[in-house]
Amino acid sequence: MPLNTEKPLVPQGPQLIAPAPRRLVYASLVLGYLCILLPWPQGMLWLVPDFTLVVLLYWVIHAPHLAGLGLAMALGLLTDATLGGLMGQHALTYTVTAFLVIHLRRRLENFEVSGRALHLAPIFLGQQALFLILGLVFRLPDADWRYLVAGLSAVLCWIPLARLFDRLTGWTNEMHIEPAAK
Amino acid sequence: MASAPMFSRAIGLPARLALYGLASLALMVVDSRYDAMTAFRTGSVALIHPVQAALARPFEYLGEAGEFFTVHGALLQEKRQLEAERERLATLLQGYLDLQGENARLRAILQLTPPPLVEPMAARITRVLPDPFARKLVIDRGSADGVEAGRPVVDVAGLIGQVTEVYPNSSIITLLTSKDQAAPVQDQRNGLRLIVSGTGSDNLLEVRYLDMHADLKPGDLLTTSGIDGAYPPGIQVARVLSVEQPRQTPFARAICQPVGLIGQHRYVLILKARNNAP
Repeated sequence: MPLNTEKPLVPQGPQLIAPAPRRLVYASLVLGYLCILLPWPQGMLWLVPDFTLVVLLYWVIHAPHLAGLGLAMALGLLTDATLGGLMGQHALTYTVTAFLVIHLRRRLENFEVSGRALHLAPIFLGQQALFLILGLVFRLPDADWRYLVAGLSAVLCWIPLARLFDRLTGWTNEMHIEPAAK
Repeated sequence: MASAPMFSRAIGLPARLALYGLASLALMVVDSRYDAMTAFRTGSVALIHPVQAALARPFEYLGEAGEFFTVHGALLQEKRQLEAERERLATLLQGYLDLQGENARLRAILQLTPPPLVEPMAARITRVLPDPFARKLVIDRGSADGVEAGRPVVDVAGLIGQVTEVYPNSSIITLLTSKDQAAPVQDQRNGLRLIVSGTGSDNLLEVRYLDMHADLKPGDLLTTSGIDGAYPPGIQVARVLSVEQPRQTPFARAICQPVGLIGQHRYVLILKARNNAP
């Protein structure tokens, strides 16, 4: 059996060279969460992305020692409490999403922002679909399938956000090829 | 046991996913089947509400600043219209008071119980919940103001929904146009009793299982009948647009348009039970 490399004690690889400051991770997650609380106009609610998840998925890739399944679950519960849906509905979709991204993490590190976003698109879309299906399974009579679009707008939001965070942490996708040169 | 991992300090990822997934599923079952989460919800909403209100404030100021620059003429015109409307309502109200007195006397003669007294309370819509499953609004009045779950919510024109969740300083309204909402109504023209339900669209309601030969015509006004105990009688609900004759089913279906201006208001009225009700 190999070492438990999913959540190393010490940041490894790119995370060692360009570590994500703990403060930045948590502050950006809080900001993402506050974006959900903003009074969005009623007509466009179905395309407002889930900002918490957008930020979370960046840090799941780039700060795996800080953002993992536990954080995803906690944020999901917070979102559930905020939006007044079924308790655990966001928690489950966030956890599943984070799990998939953790599995893809090593691969994603090799890609530019656009490449990473292309990988994340089906994941964001699947998260919305899972959310809607869970609602149908549990009690809710009427799912508004327009909300699937929120998955796509989440990817569109993720791209500029990832560029910003890449610049803030100094992370590039060539970095881990020659870590000694840095 | 030689193959044991060197640093086995955490359970593996799939196991953790299964654990969290099961916990979430358990929460969802508990939440949908039992009322166990209410206390937790009340607490968390009480914590989140102030943050939300603070975040919404700058946008309100922006909106108000925008309104500040509306043309003066438009305001004057609106003022004149409102004055005319008020005069008209004042004359109507005189007749209404008279009628109410007469009605009370007639009821006393017939020995009927008086209808439940309601008191309207204005509330401001603070937020629309991004819920893909039901149409919900958050308003700024809660149990501290005497709001109770189940109270009807109206606007200037007619019924728009029902209070479904109550928190200390806010409550959640589920609109009548949500798919699982329904209201017992009566045709104003002939007294026919029906149940009108939401369709999930903002400007359509429907009467689902309508008798094939029922006397319902386009243009009929439907008002609450008051027989369910949730909605007081006489609130306008919808106007019939069309009646679809049955094809495969034994029932007809009527499409109606809600009278309340759903999705167009900032303020709504909650019909609260009057405290000193006899």
